[in-house]
Amino acid sequence: MWDAIMSGFDWIIGAGPTVMLPIVITVIGLFFGLKLGKAFKSGLTLGIGFAGIRLLLDYMASNLGPASQAMVDNIGINLDVLDVGWGSIAAVTWSSPIIVFIVISIFAVNILMLLTRTTNTLDVDIWNYHHMAIVGIMVHYVTKNIWLGIGASVVMAITTFKIADWSQPMIEKFFGIPGVSLPTVSATSTLVLAWPLNWLLDRIPGIKKINITLKDVQKYLGFFGDQMVLGLILGSAIGLLGGYDVTTSLQLGVSMAAVLVIIPKMTSLFVEGLMPISEAAQNWSQKKFKDRKLFIGLDAAVVVGNQDVITTALILIPLTIGLAFILPGNRMLPFADLAIIPFRIALIVALTRGNFFKNIILGLATSAAILYAGTITAPILTDLAGSVGIEVAVAGGALLISSFSATSLTHSFLVFFAFVGPLLVTLPTMIVIIGIFWYYFEVMKPKSKQVREQRELEMGEQST
Amino acid sequence: MKRVLVACGNGIATSTVVASKIKEYAENERINIKTEQCKLMEVPGKGDDYDLVVTTGQFGGQVKTPVVGGLSLLTGVGKEETLKEILSYLK
Repeated sequence: MWDAIMSGFDWIIGAGPTVMLPIVITVIGLFFGLKLGKAFKSGLTLGIGFAGIRLLLDYMASNLGPASQAMVDNIGINLDVLDVGWGSIAAVTWSSPIIVFIVISIFAVNILMLLTRTTNTLDVDIWNYHHMAIVGIMVHYVTKNIWLGIGASVVMAITTFKIADWSQPMIEKFFGIPGVSLPTVSATSTLVLAWPLNWLLDRIPGIKKINITLKDVQKYLGFFGDQMVLGLILGSAIGLLGGYDVTTSLQLGVSMAAVLVIIPKMTSLFVEGLMPISEAAQNWSQKKFKDRKLFIGLDAAVVVGNQDVITTALILIPLTIGLAFILPGNRMLPFADLAIIPFRIALIVALTRGNFFKNIILGLATSAAILYAGTITAPILTDLAGSVGIEVAVAGGALLISSFSATSLTHSFLVFFAFVGPLLVTLPTMIVIIGIFWYYFEVMKPKSKQVREQRELEMGEQST
Repeated sequence: MKRVLVACGNGIATSTVVASKIKEYAENERINIKTEQCKLMEVPGKGDDYDLVVTTGQFGGQVKTPVVGGLSLLTGVGKEETLKEILSYLK
């Protein structure tokens, strides 16, 4: 019996992600109470999305790969880690053989934390589970231990829901969306670094008073927000830096514009396929917790339309490209994920309440952290992608892939590191760090707020 | 046929959810519509060519087309009212 199950598993894994995805997602769909037909259609939609993304990545690697290699040879700057974008990494994530266990674990953690009242965030945005899942999948890939893998994703889930809780008041106040929190790791991750840094900046005399207002940024830098134009410019520039002639550079530019425009269309197939599952989970849990006021966990997409966020992002896009060239030891060439820089800095903007000077400083610091973590974890991610059939090796040298998501995110990187390092040292360290954050937000902060309100009350009484 | 532009942060995730909910609702009401998705940043450039713009978040830009906030379609709170409002522009 057991042998039959195991050989069944082996067959599914051996068949590759385009066959495995429909099966796996059908199982997840059935778990959340979908009818078989609907669950299967969800799965098939994801399988099609994956096929599309694999096609595009192949195209991207065979065009951009040799060009970045040529750039390395020509100007001696070693940027051989291609940023293939979060959508591609999400595709790798959803096609992992252990994704079923991880998704169900994350969902169970959320329900358990709600029942024990350790969180108020109801997160049934199943699509964005991929940010928490990839950490476990990479840990599993490195350690070959499924329990460590699930453990890493569980820690990601717990910390993500807590960060969502802690940042909720700030988000409600700044963006004006009540009743909503954002357990989207790609947006909240920067807070792990930005919270302490912002605290430090506030203690440097004079920083708070620097107030830059930026007008017309959107008018002059708006093209950085347009995928087509960004792809064309970056592609052509890399070609020229690689010593290509003008015609070939322009060809590369248009190909890269095509990649940046088509990848999101493929990625949206993933969202479309997972939507019925999210909906079923939402209906079930909102019924279950109907007597309690909860924050609905949403994709951070709902806040990145803010004008301050867009302006800061438009400035940071060219700065991040520059950073990649000058940071010693960085090997990541920012590309597909430049488009989602608004997500990385949205909560920084809320944290500083729109102080542009601090936004740029914190934005640069967090981008640098992403580039380094992306460089360090690129070999593992490349191998993992290879194991699901995404091969990016090009003739004449090994090419690596990475992105501005997965373990490039500070939060995910730290948890990943804690689970693949010497466990006896790293796991206790991680628990202590989480404890410090927990103590600050759950004990210290409410207390100081209480003291402040008490003082204001007394002052009020004295003046009357 | 009326055309609806649905916009969110990256034109992928939440706009897909909102667009398909609007489509489903319109279908049930036997109204024929077409939805397209884009990034919020692209709305000022594109919005005027549509009959209605629905956004999933804060939108600070300017368009001549009426704009409806679609956040409630994601949270489920106040969903019916929003769908009715959207429909009133599409009849």
